[in-house]
Amino acid sequence: MPFPQRQAAIVGVYTTKQGKLPERTSFSLQLEAIRGALDDAGLTTGDIDGLLPMSMTDIVPGTTAHQFWAEQLGERPLGLVEVGGASGQLAKAAASIAAGLTDVAVLFFGRAGGRTGPSGTPAAKVRAPRVADDWSFATAGGYMTSWYAMWAQRYMHEFNVTNADLAEVAVFTRYHATLNPDSVMGRKGEITVDDVLASRFVCEPLHLLDCSIDNDGGYAVVIASAERARDCRKKPVWILGGAEAYYTDFYATINDPWFPNQGKSVRKATDRAFGLAGISRDDIDVAGLYDCFTITTIRDLEEMGFCKLGEGADYVKEGHLRLGGSMPTNTDGGLLSNSHCGDPSGMHTIEVVRQLRGECGDRQVPGAQLGVSLQQGWAVHGMASTLVMAVD
Amino acid sequence: MTILEAAPAPYLKPLPEVRPENQPFFDALRNHQFVVPRCEDCGDYNWVPYPACRSCLSENQAWTPVSGDATLYTFTVCHRGPGAFGAEVPYVIALGELVEQPRPCLVLGNLVGSAIEDIRVGMPLSIAYQEIPGEDITMWRWVARS
Repeated sequence: MPFPQRQAAIVGVYTTKQGKLPERTSFSLQLEAIRGALDDAGLTTGDIDGLLPMSMTDIVPGTTAHQFWAEQLGERPLGLVEVGGASGQLAKAAASIAAGLTDVAVLFFGRAGGRTGPSGTPAAKVRAPRVADDWSFATAGGYMTSWYAMWAQRYMHEFNVTNADLAEVAVFTRYHATLNPDSVMGRKGEITVDDVLASRFVCEPLHLLDCSIDNDGGYAVVIASAERARDCRKKPVWILGGAEAYYTDFYATINDPWFPNQGKSVRKATDRAFGLAGISRDDIDVAGLYDCFTITTIRDLEEMGFCKLGEGADYVKEGHLRLGGSMPTNTDGGLLSNSHCGDPSGMHTIEVVRQLRGECGDRQVPGAQLGVSLQQGWAVHGMASTLVMAVD
Repeated sequence: MTILEAAPAPYLKPLPEVRPENQPFFDALRNHQFVVPRCEDCGDYNWVPYPACRSCLSENQAWTPVSGDATLYTFTVCHRGPGAFGAEVPYVIALGELVEQPRPCLVLGNLVGSAIEDIRVGMPLSIAYQEIPGEDITMWRWVARS
C-alpha cells in the first residue's frame, strides 16, 4: 500500500514565547501550546483523538504521560499515541489517520527551567555521584556538545573543512533570525564569520556561536484527516511522505566509519520519505533542517542527498540555504538563533508550515509550495526523521 | 602499561555504578586490565558492552583482556563542563579505536598527560589506570602511547 499522500494535513501550529521564562512551568507551556495550535486550526480539545508527546510533563515522569494527558484533556479515550522525533511522529500519524486509527492528533512539547547544556548539571559537593552510564559520557565529562564537537573534529579531519566553514551556518541562520520578530537572538543583529571565530570555545572545535541556544519554550502541531482539514481555519498543509530511522544508542558510542558514502539514519529516512512523496529533492522550496550545531546542518545536507559527502560546507557557502537561495532553510533562525527549547524537533516543521501558508512576513519565501523538515538527535544522527509537505 | 597517580581528593566527578553485570569489568580495571566482551561464537569484540554480540546476536560473550593500544579517532577539548568537571576545564574527551578488530571498538575516556596542542587525530594511544581516592573503583584514561 503506498503512503497515503494528501490524506492527512497539518492544520494547526503554535509556538509559545521562547526565551527565559522563569514564571512558567513546563506543563503550562505544553497546555498553552496545545490550546494555541487547536485554536489556529479552529478545533477544540474535544477534537483531539491522538497524542504525539515529544517528551513528558514535569508532573508525571516516563511512559505514563500519555495517560496523564488523556485524563487532563477531558478524561476521554484517545485513539493513538506515537513517540519518536517530530517529523517521524507526524509521518506515522498521517499513515494512522489514513488507515482510520485516529482523526485528529496533537504533537506537543514545552520546557521551563531545565537546561540542556552543562550548566544544567550541578556539581557534587561531598562525594562523587554514581551514574548508571557505565562506560562513557557522564563519567568523562561528556554532554551533547562534546559529542557533536567530536563529530565535527573527525569531519574536519577527513574532509579538510575549517572552523570558518562551519561558521557560515551560524551566519546565515542569524540573518534569518533578524527577520523573525519572535526569535530569541534576532534582536542582537547579524553576525559574521569572525564573530563566530572570536566567540569562546565550548568544546573545541565548536565555538559558542556554533552551538544552539538553550532556552525555555513550548510548541504544538495539530494533524488531521483530509475530511477534518477541509473544515479547519487555515489552508491545509498536506503530508506527502515521511519516515523515520534509528541508529545508535544514546550517546554511548558510534561505530567507525562515521561518514560512510551510503549514509546512515538520516539517509534512510530521507530516501524513504522522498520516495513515498513521489517528488525529488530539487522540487523543495523551503526546508527546516535540524541545526543543534553548525556541523549538524552541514551533515544534514550531505546525508539527505542535497549535496555529496564532504561538500556540505561548500553547499552552504554557495548560498543555497539563505533566503533568496535555491532552498531557503531554517528561515526562523533555527535552533542556532531562533529557539532550542529542550526538545525542539517540531520547530522546523512549524516554520515550514508557516512558510507554506505564506505567514512569514519579511522572511517569506515567495510562492513556497513544497517543504521538508528533518529531525535528528539522541546521539549524532542516531534518530532521524523526515517529513515532506505541500500546499495546493 | 601506564598507572597514573591517584586522582586528587575529594573526587566529585560522576563515577560508574558497579552492578553484577559490569562487576567483571571493574574487577579487571582494579587489576590494571581492560576487558571487552568478545563473542565466543564469531570472535568479534563488542564495545560498549551489550547483552549479546552485535554481529551474530550470540549471548555467549566473555570478558576478554585487550592490549589497551588504540588510535585516536577523534577528540574534543572541553572549555565548559557539567557538574564538578566545570572546575577542571579545559579537559579532553577522546574516542580511542582499539587495535583489536574486525568489529571496531571506539572507547570514550578522558585523555590526560598530553599538551593540548600536541593532540592529533590518528595519534597512538594506550589505556592507563587511575585509582580514585575514597572510592572502591579504578578508572581508565587515555594517554599518548610513545
